[in-house]
Order: sequence, then C-alpha cells, then structure tokens
Amino acid sequence: MSPDDDRLARATISLVAEPGDARALGLTRELGAARFLELLREHPELRDQLAAASARLAGVETERVLESAARRGIRFVVPGDEEWPAQLADLDRAGVLHDRGGVPVGLWVRGPLRLDRLGEAVSVVGSRSSTSYGDQVAAELAAGVGARGRPVVSGAAEGIDYAAHRGALSAGAPTVAVLACGVDRVYPARNRDLLRHLGEAHAVVSEAPPGASPFRIRFLARNRLIAALGRGTLLVEAALRSGALNTGSWADRLNRVVMGVPGPLTSPVSQGVHQLIRRGSATLVTSTEEVLELVGAAGSDLAPELRAPEQPRDGLSVRARQVLDAVPVAAPAPTESIARVAGLAPADVRRLLLALAEDGLVDRAPTGWRLTARGRG
Amino acid sequence: MPVATTHCVALDGARGHLIDVQADVSPGQATVTVVGRADVALREGVDRVRMAIVNSGLRWPATKRTTILLSPADLQKTGTQFDLAMAVSVLAADGQVEERELDRTAFIGELTLAGGLRPAVGVLPMSLAAQERGVRRVFVPEPQADEAAMVSDLDVIGIRSLSQVVASLLGEPPPEAPPVAETSGAHLLSWRGDERRDDLDLADLRGMEDEKYAAEVAAAGGHALLLSGAKGCGKTSLAERMPTLLPDLTREESLELTALHSLAGVLDPGAGMVLRPPFVAPHHDASKASVVGGGTGRVQPGALSRAHCGVLFLDEFPLFRADVIEALRQPLESRDITIARRDELVTLPAGGMLVLASNPCPCGAWTAFAGTNRCGCAERVRRAYQGRLTGPVADRIDILRNVQPASLASHDPFRPPEPSAVVRDRVAAVRDRQARRYADRPWRLNAHVPGPRLEDTWPLTRSAQRLIADEARRGRLSARGVVRVQRLAWTVADLRSVRDGRDHEPGLADAETALRLRAGLPLDLAVLRGTRGGERRAAAGSGADLAARPDLGARPQSAADAPHAAAPPHRDGQGVA
Repeated sequence: MSPDDDRLARATISLVAEPGDARALGLTRELGAARFLELLREHPELRDQLAAASARLAGVETERVLESAARRGIRFVVPGDEEWPAQLADLDRAGVLHDRGGVPVGLWVRGPLRLDRLGEAVSVVGSRSSTSYGDQVAAELAAGVGARGRPVVSGAAEGIDYAAHRGALSAGAPTVAVLACGVDRVYPARNRDLLRHLGEAHAVVSEAPPGASPFRIRFLARNRLIAALGRGTLLVEAALRSGALNTGSWADRLNRVVMGVPGPLTSPVSQGVHQLIRRGSATLVTSTEEVLELVGAAGSDLAPELRAPEQPRDGLSVRARQVLDAVPVAAPAPTESIARVAGLAPADVRRLLLALAEDGLVDRAPTGWRLTARGRG
Repeated sequence: MPVATTHCVALDGARGHLIDVQADVSPGQATVTVVGRADVALREGVDRVRMAIVNSGLRWPATKRTTILLSPADLQKTGTQFDLAMAVSVLAADGQVEERELDRTAFIGELTLAGGLRPAVGVLPMSLAAQERGVRRVFVPEPQADEAAMVSDLDVIGIRSLSQVVASLLGEPPPEAPPVAETSGAHLLSWRGDERRDDLDLADLRGMEDEKYAAEVAAAGGHALLLSGAKGCGKTSLAERMPTLLPDLTREESLELTALHSLAGVLDPGAGMVLRPPFVAPHHDASKASVVGGGTGRVQPGALSRAHCGVLFLDEFPLFRADVIEALRQPLESRDITIARRDELVTLPAGGMLVLASNPCPCGAWTAFAGTNRCGCAERVRRAYQGRLTGPVADRIDILRNVQPASLASHDPFRPPEPSAVVRDRVAAVRDRQARRYADRPWRLNAHVPGPRLEDTWPLTRSAQRLIADEARRGRLSARGVVRVQRLAWTVADLRSVRDGRDHEPGLADAETALRLRAGLPLDLAVLRGTRGGERRAAAGSGADLAARPDLGARPQSAADAPHAAAPPHRDGQGVA
C-alpha cells in the first residue's frame, strides 16, 4: 500500500471515528488503516461494535475534505511523515482512560510550525477559572521555558491555557494549541485573536477533523495529546474536578514529568494541584529553573538550590555565639563583665573576643568591647 | 431717606450668613462708625468706601454723621467683600441711588480707592446662601459672575466698578471701567505638565487586570482602595487614572464641589463650574491643616474636602505624619470633617473616595514573589513600616490589592486593554442603579449605606451572609469589616448586573469576590470577565457532527454555532461508548 493510500485511509478513519476512540485506534494499529476500514465495511461483528463509525463511512468524501482543508491551509499529518511527532508513539503503551487512548491516526494542523520540533516542549495546563495569581505564574513560567528555547503546548482555553500561550509568545517561543474541536473552529470565541495568530505563525492542532464541534468527551481525548506532546506537564491551577487533572494523569501514564505550582490554601482552584502533590503524583515547582531541571536530561539544567542569604553569625561556634550574645550594643563592657554574662572563663572569652574582632563582629573601645554594625545584624 | 438697608454675605466655613448692611446718614458730628463685630479688614473698608465714592464722582456725606450697622450684630464678620454693600447703603441713605428693591439685592465685592472692584473668594457659596435667604439679585465682580450664575433663580449682575453699580441701580447705561484684576495668586502657578492628567487613560496600563477590576469596583461604589506593591509597579499610574473612571458630576455634586473650591480659592474663574471629579494628591509632608482643613483666619477646606465627589490620593501613605493619618479616621466614616476652632465649629463635606498607595518596605523593592524580591530591608524595619498601615485607617479600607510588577509576560497582545471611557460607562450605569435604589435616602453610593440598613432593607442572599458570618466567626473579619464586605458585595453584584444586563442579588459568588478584594487575595479572573464556564457550556453530545453532513469540509467557521443546534436529533455517537 502506498503512503498516499495510507494517508487517505487514516483521514477517512479520522472523519468517521470519534477522536481518541481506543478501540478504533487499537484496531488501526494492529491491522493497518486500510485493512481496518475494509473490515469496518464488511465485518458484521465489527460493524456492530463501531456502529456510528461504520454508518458514517457510507457518506464520507475524504478526498474532498482533504482538498478543502488544504485550500484553507490545513494539513493532515500521519505517522511516517517527516513532521510526525515521534513522542506520540508512547500513547501506544499508555493504556485507556474513559475509553480514550492510543496513537491518533493523524493530526490536523493549521500553521507553519512543524510538529517534529516539539520534542523538547513543555505542556502547561490549568483551570479556565484561573485567578490573577495563576495567570501571572503561568505566563511567567511559560515565558521562562520559552526563553530557554522550549516550545509550549497548551489547549487555547480561557484562563491558564491562554496565559501560557501568551507567556510563550512574549518570549518569542514557538507555541502550539491542541484543540478538542476542528482546527478551523474558534473555541472559545474570546480567544479568536490568539487562535488566528497561532494559526498564522505557530500551529493549531487537533485530532478531530475540520468543522468538528467541541463536545465534552473530545476534551478527554485532546488532553492525552497535550500530555503526550510535552516532555512534562505543568499544572498551574486546577480544581478538584478538572480537565487539567485529566491531562496530569495522562502525563503520569506516559511517564512524563508532572509538575504542580502551589497556590494559596484558601483557593479552590489550587486544590487539585495540591492533591496531586500530596499524593506524590506531581513535583512541586516554584520557578522556571525548577521546571527546566525536571524536563531536562538527568543531571543537566540543575536548578540552583534556594538558600537564605548568609548571615555573619553563620559558622560561629556555640561558645563564640555565647560570647557574641553577651557583648553589649551601645556602651562597651570589659572582658570580665562579658565573661560573667556569658558564663564562660575570662581567658576563653578574651581569646574568642579577639577572634570575633578579626571577623569584624565586635569592636574594641578604650573601656571594653561592643558589637559592630555587622555583629548586630 | 436717612436709612437704607442692603445685603452682603458672611462666610463661616461652608455656611453663608446673609448680613443686613444698614447705613444711617443723619445730621450731627461728622464721623463714621461701623457697628456689629466687624474685623480689622472690614473696618478698613470704610476708608476704601469713602475714597471709592469720591473717586467715582459721587458724593460722600462728609458733613453728616454716618453709621453703618452689620447685623445680626453678634456674628463675627470678617473679609473685604462687604465694601460694595457698605458703599451702596451709604449712597442710598444719602439719597443718591433709589432704595427700590435693595432689600432683595446683595452686593459682593472689595473696592479699590479708584472705585474699581477686586475679585472676591467664595462667591458661589455666598450667592447660594443669599438665594436661600430670599435674595433675588446679586452684584458680583465681573470675573465671578459665571460662578454666581450657577445658582438657579438668581439674577446675577457682573460689574467692574462702583459707578457701574450705581448706573445699573439708576437704570442708566453702565460707564466704561477697566476690567477687574485676576484673583491674586491664580495663574501664577501654571506649567505645561499641569494638564497632563487630561491625557491619562486606563488603556495606557498593560496587564493589571486584577487591579483594574478593583479600581472599577472602587469607583463604582465609592469604596476606599489601598494599592500596595514594589516601587515602579504601577500603583501611582493606576491611582492617577481613577478620576477617568468616574462619570461627570451630577448638578448637585457639581454645586457642592464648586462651592468648596470657591471657598478654598482654587476655582479657576475662567473655567466655571467644576464638572469633572477632582483628583487631589497631597504630598506626604503635608500638614494636618492642609489635608483636613483649617489654617489661620478663614477656615480653608483641606485636600480632604477639595476631593469631595472625587479622589483623594495619598501616595506613600506610611510616610504621612501620624496626626494626619489619625485625623482621617472620622471623615472616612462620616464623609464630612468638623474643624473646631477657638470660637467656631466648621463642618465641611469630605465625601471623596480614598485611594492609598504604599511601598511594602522603606526601600520599596520587596515583592511577594521570591524570584523577583530585591529588598534589602531588615525584617524588623519592614514590619514597622507595614505597621503604619494597620490600625484604624486600614480597617476602614475596603479593597486591598497587592500590585505585582508588570513583566513582558503580563502583556496581552490579543486583547487590548479597555479604555477608560468603556469602564466609565459601566461605572455610570452602576451608579445609576445605586441612585435608583437609594432614591429617597441621604446617600448615593453602596459604600455609604449604613450598616443597619444592610441588615433590614438591603440584605445579601442567605448563603452570602452565611459565608461572611463564617469569616467573622473565624476572626478574619471585624464587625466593621463585615459591613464593609457587604457593601462591597453589593457593588460587585451591581457591576455584574450591568455587565450581563440582568438583575443580580448579591449572592455567594459576589460575597466571595468581596472577601477576596478586602483580604488582598488574587481574584477569579473568569468571574471578573463574566466568562465563567467554558467547557461547561460545550454540549454533552458526542460525534454526531462527524461526517454526518456531506459539506463537512467546507463548513464556514463560526464561533456562535451552538453544538446542539448542529447535531441531528439521533445521538448515534453515543453508541460508541
């Protein structure tokens, strides 16, 4: 079978089968696209199992759809194409969730960005009802990973998705929107300008054919693609029941890194993320560096460990601290008086005071010792 | 006729007293006496009046005994605006002008020796007082005629000199006279940057969606707002744009404010009525008298009163003097300020909305984001600085916003920021709702509704009340805080009603937003934008549109397509699952 026949068969499957339908995709993988279609037409048992798809098969005009799509700048990318994102192969072994699963038969793409450039991508997802905090963090982190040359994958929804695309764009990084509806649809309508821009300068991707509506079940299929395309999935804000958590579980199944940004304990849209972190399913991240460390190769891009600023008193012995605590701030005190307050032998105290003076923590006045500005800090 | 009576107005704070100016010119020892608690400036007026009359070509009754009475005699009178009334009453008593209608006329103005007039301060409140006390005609210096003309049912005559007044009273054509000098001090200070506020617009600010919403709520309901954040994050820029969100003043407000500005002597004579809400931003070194009002001599309205119906902005609030901060407590509750002087008690309106800005620490670099924090202040110092914000004033702040520095990533290239005019229209609509609701009440805005009325007349929904009560029970809200959150919830609900064109009671979501606004917590942006939901609005169907229509590929893209409408009635797709 020629590659063109295969593409045609895959496009036909995409037109008749529900996106992410685990059974249809599984059979396509086992039998090949053309053979699966053949069986769908002929095999009564299969026809019963996939009644909707086989019913649609009769009226479908795949060539016409492909032509019309091409006229509008939409291409259909299939496995084996140079552009095909190889990381989607992992979906094969990721199992089935809500009857969705498997490698898509192909992807409908609008926009100049090649999908094989997404190997280093980071997926950013979260609540549509985000807070201003979540929006800001999502935009900053997306801009941060974007500035390090990594594409950002998200779903072009309101809230966190929107902020993530926006952040990536602000850093001049490539960014891809994976939709649950056809790539020619504008959903949500508020993001019309974003979707137009992504379609002109980046890429808008969907497993569903052009014209397909954003039905709820398609978001579940779409989420697995967002998780599979990125090296890791970053959840910024997600309530206890949310699509972002679904994306997170797909990332987990795909052995991708799942990262969570903490929020205020009082915020319901952070509860889902907190739960994932508590269960150990997600790693807490607070900065771009920490995201890069997790999605990078082991040992590379290590994030600097956060430390409190060094204090002058760090590294002093316990006895030296005892002496330092006994030295007055204003009026200088003689060694004997300091020794009495510190409860140490005067000879030891004298030695320690000299050492502290060398460190610039105490100061010798004619009438005794007192703390320097450094020693007070 | 040896006795003649006319009128002038004495000002006592924002209150005007109609004064009878009575002159008696009778045979006797040739002296001039002024009785009726006149101050020095007023007594000197006799000399100005005499020379003005003489130099205007009129006759001063030099051979007679002249007595001028200012009554009520027990009221302390001060100021120079009595000159004209004294001159006219003397001339009338001496028979040089007709006394006809003089008892329904007031004369306001200071005279020069040449018989010309000088401008007076406070002409609008004086005219208001005169009109209320039955005066039908008022003579004022020409530059202030516009000011006086704002009073309805009052015949205003702008004049330049005493001769013109006399001519007018005699029904003769007015003689030529040099124009009246400008108010001393006005226009001395005028610079190019002065007008820059006219060019400000909310659309100049990128991002800050959260803060802009807070500003909109504050403007719509008249709530006090505190912006806290590192230096350069846009606090002042946002505060300066607050007046652009406020609708034009109503006629009533405009009169109140113009009278106040007239009293303060800051009214630009050429500009006429104050129509736009004022923006007053005293420096943090300002004295208590300059902020709340006072001063020596006549009580000067302070910044607090000049900002009536507008915005009082205190930048770098923790740096204000402790006595100034303390003095703000009472007016924040009562919306007026009472200034006690040696022998007078003056009450001025102070109903402007308060906007405070504060750095989080003395160096101004501290941010809540660990990654961007560049603050070098000691924890102790920072806490002391923040401490100045807590206490009585902070508890009277309705909305707290922690402003984050804008970054490149906060820029949204696809949704241009809303211009002030759009927000102002919404604010005006929300204010209309409030005006209708509080039509026969003495307040206009949600922020001013008394607590008890929120209990008995305009309660929140039960669930919203429960939420707020719960917060109070946990000690996160004071009793005053409860009332303030309820008022805020009303404004949030009103704004929501205006946005989606339906009436909303203040419910759970509004109370939640109000609590977040007050506590400085981040807001749910979908609620602000009125776009709650999203996927939830998507249809529950599945697959019905795939290949069901032969024209699938050529389908025109349309966002408005309702998925249900597009789906055929038989949901064959459901068989897949």
